[in-house]
Amino acid sequence: MRPGFTSQGLITLAVLVIVAFLVLLPVVFLVEESLNTGDPMAFPPQEYGLANYVAMFEEDLQVIINTVVIAVAATVMAVLIGFTLAWILTRTNVPGREKLERLMELPYYMTPLVGALAWAVLASPRSGFFNQIWRWAGGTGDLFNIYSMFGIAWIMALFEGTVAFVMISAAMKSMDPALEESARVIGASKLRTALTVTLPLVMPGVLGATLFVFAEMLGSFAAALVIGIPARVYVITTAIWDSTLSYPPAYGRASAMGLALFVVMFAMLTFYRRMVGRGSFATITGKAFRPRQMDMGRLAWLLFGVCALYVFLAVVLPIAALLLTSLERFATALLHQAQFTLANYEMALALGPVRTALANSLLLGFGVASVGVIIMALVVWIIYRSQLVGRGSIEYLVMFPQAVPRLVFGLALLWAWLNMPIPIYGTLWLLALAYFTVMLPIGVRTLAGVVLQVDKSLEECARVCGAGWVYQLRTVTLPLLKPGVIAAWLLIFMACVRELGVSVFLMGPNAKVIAPSIVSAFASSGIELTAAMALIQTFTVVVALLILFRLTRGMTRELT
Amino acid sequence: MSAGALCIELRDLVIRYGEVVAVNGVSFEVNRGEHVTLLGPSGCGKTTTLRAIAGLEQPGAGTISIDGQVMYDAVRRHNVPTEQRGVSMVFQSYAVWPHMTVLGNVAYGLKVRKQSGADIRAKVERVLDLVQMRHLADRPASKLSGGQQQRVALARAIAFSPTVVLFDEPLSNLDAKLRAEMRLELRELQRQLGITSVYVTHDQEEALAISDRVIVMNVGAIEQIGTPEQIYNRPRNRFVADFVGSANLIRGRVREPLAAPKTLAFVAEGGHVLQATAAHVLRGNETEVAVRTAYIELGKANNVNQMPGTVRRRMFHGDFVQYVVDCPLGQMIVRHPPTNLVAEGDGVNLSFSPEHCVLLED
Repeated sequence: MRPGFTSQGLITLAVLVIVAFLVLLPVVFLVEESLNTGDPMAFPPQEYGLANYVAMFEEDLQVIINTVVIAVAATVMAVLIGFTLAWILTRTNVPGREKLERLMELPYYMTPLVGALAWAVLASPRSGFFNQIWRWAGGTGDLFNIYSMFGIAWIMALFEGTVAFVMISAAMKSMDPALEESARVIGASKLRTALTVTLPLVMPGVLGATLFVFAEMLGSFAAALVIGIPARVYVITTAIWDSTLSYPPAYGRASAMGLALFVVMFAMLTFYRRMVGRGSFATITGKAFRPRQMDMGRLAWLLFGVCALYVFLAVVLPIAALLLTSLERFATALLHQAQFTLANYEMALALGPVRTALANSLLLGFGVASVGVIIMALVVWIIYRSQLVGRGSIEYLVMFPQAVPRLVFGLALLWAWLNMPIPIYGTLWLLALAYFTVMLPIGVRTLAGVVLQVDKSLEECARVCGAGWVYQLRTVTLPLLKPGVIAAWLLIFMACVRELGVSVFLMGPNAKVIAPSIVSAFASSGIELTAAMALIQTFTVVVALLILFRLTRGMTRELT
Repeated sequence: MSAGALCIELRDLVIRYGEVVAVNGVSFEVNRGEHVTLLGPSGCGKTTTLRAIAGLEQPGAGTISIDGQVMYDAVRRHNVPTEQRGVSMVFQSYAVWPHMTVLGNVAYGLKVRKQSGADIRAKVERVLDLVQMRHLADRPASKLSGGQQQRVALARAIAFSPTVVLFDEPLSNLDAKLRAEMRLELRELQRQLGITSVYVTHDQEEALAISDRVIVMNVGAIEQIGTPEQIYNRPRNRFVADFVGSANLIRGRVREPLAAPKTLAFVAEGGHVLQATAAHVLRGNETEVAVRTAYIELGKANNVNQMPGTVRRRMFHGDFVQYVVDCPLGQMIVRHPPTNLVAEGDGVNLSFSPEHCVLLED
């Protein structure tokens, strides 16, 4: 019944084609390369076979074992941390609950990369701060060794714990307190209620969080890169990275591992979504209740201590360690031996490559965020507001990068753009394109949250008043979306400045960005310089974050 | 075009949402200056029909024309976009834009039409006066109460002098007192401006009170079209009798041979013979009559449709008293003004005139 091609129809088609090109094509390239058993650099491949997959189990079995062991250990710790914190902050009368809840977000913004560097400073054998103090206090040998499987798992758990916390506390909050109250009224004791009503109701949420966190752990890269490679403990992500560094680069091998990782993670996330009962990748929070809080008496302060300890270990201690290191000539926790200096910052900001890397990252952040939100806003409008055929498939495509481990997506993009007749490999343009593609899910989700809050009739009314589509977008839709658009801009900006997984593959000698530069500084120059660089990056993110908090607070006030 | 001429015409409209048929073959006309209400329970397709007139829903079949111009024609694949249909609409949620002032909201339709600044000012002031909101012209729309938002939505809808205004349950979010006031104001305004309007509501009282004609809808189809009096006094079928006002439904059969066309004899299931009226062409196989609860007398002697009864229950509602009366026809509900109260257990003489005993078509 649609009269011919409308402008909307054409735009939708264009968006669909572009998104499919950006999102799906790299994966197609990756699949093809993983089946390449001939010359790994030849494109298109001359021989096809499953040798790359077979080799994974024959030669890299240890890698698979390492991956599973670390992921399991990290998941168990992260879920324990998340469950404890969620229970304390939603179900007890812990003092300062709202402030604490806000602080729990910080480890997420710290990033595992900065966290891993900090814990390398804190707990490496011999030179680590903990071990220095231990020996100074008269101990012998090393108290801690972060360069171990447990060390990697510990860092991952510390920084993924906050994800588990958010998911589990959402499950706890979404439970109607009347369900528990009715059990109590009928005559069940506190304990009986907890065992027969509370636990069964919260359990799916906890299991879902476990599955989700486990999938994330399998694909996590930063900690394994910073800690695992010096420790010679390889997991699948670092093995993928390593295969591309050999000569000639074993892209086929890397692709096979990447795809295997993708399939496992995708299956787990799909199962997770089944469990949570949502068909799409989008998560929209349901109604939130304020559950009844247990009066913990004097114990409440102990619980407060538990929360504070987590923030201390995941945020305060790492930042303090990095700060101290970055201000010293030689990293030491023993202040009487310290030689303080600003040389590291001077060097970081004066060093040509570092400066350009930082400038490039900021430029990419600004560019991708600015152009990105406009396109994403359009995509969101098409998905959630238009009546057009094909909007469902656009939503699926846009959310797809979320299901692919960042590192694997980087590899796919690398291989795709090495062989595409458009010569942008090794330039900032490719990085910009790649950032835009991997930021699609987060940007679209943030914007969708705002779009869904804007009642559809506000737009329909503009049409009835006689406004055309473009006029309506300009006068009604975009002004209403403004706060959400700014929030999305900042989130994308932050994510770009911190980006590692895709950047390591796509960075060229003339297009360096900051996160991979920090990693290579850690490998090749001193920890002191690395610490300074990490803090400069963190500082940039923190500034963006402060603006974001300010803004979202204003936004919620405006909307209520 | 003169008053009384055809303004909106819908022919065999069908609207589907996937497998679900929301509107199934709806046809009606609205004359110029007329106020027509689509009445029905939620999910009956009334809002969908209204949105189709505005071009906000795409029908699967049928035609829609406004002022003689075809706006939608399924066969010819003709569809005029919403903004070019020249209709206006008041939304259930008001849809007052929170990022603009009252003035900005009301002036929107005029700005879209590229009218001069002076014109816009004059027209906005006029409609703000009409809805008594002029003193709040510069207030941000996010700082208005529900009733004020309602008025702004109304002012915005009429500011650019549209020929047709569509109302989608505009009063349903207001409290009862305010709703009654606004009902009156709407009716006044509608008369004053002579606009053609289509109004959607699920509130039968509201529909009867403010309409020239009422269209009763159920599960996507029209049950009856008529003036409020026709709908109330001559319900065509069980659904209308039940949904609009309150009625006693009595099962039975029409007695042969068929008597005079206006009154006929109806044998109720207990064997009691009633004098009834039929508004339609008699078929002879009808099985029900409806008697409005307000049209039943308790006590007055009457020649026809008279029987003894006992008051079983009495409920005091304030504006009226509702009795449940046991009688040979079964249990009858009777509503009376709260004067001359009858006590529970008292015997009464129940009666109603033949013209209020309406034979239902199906």
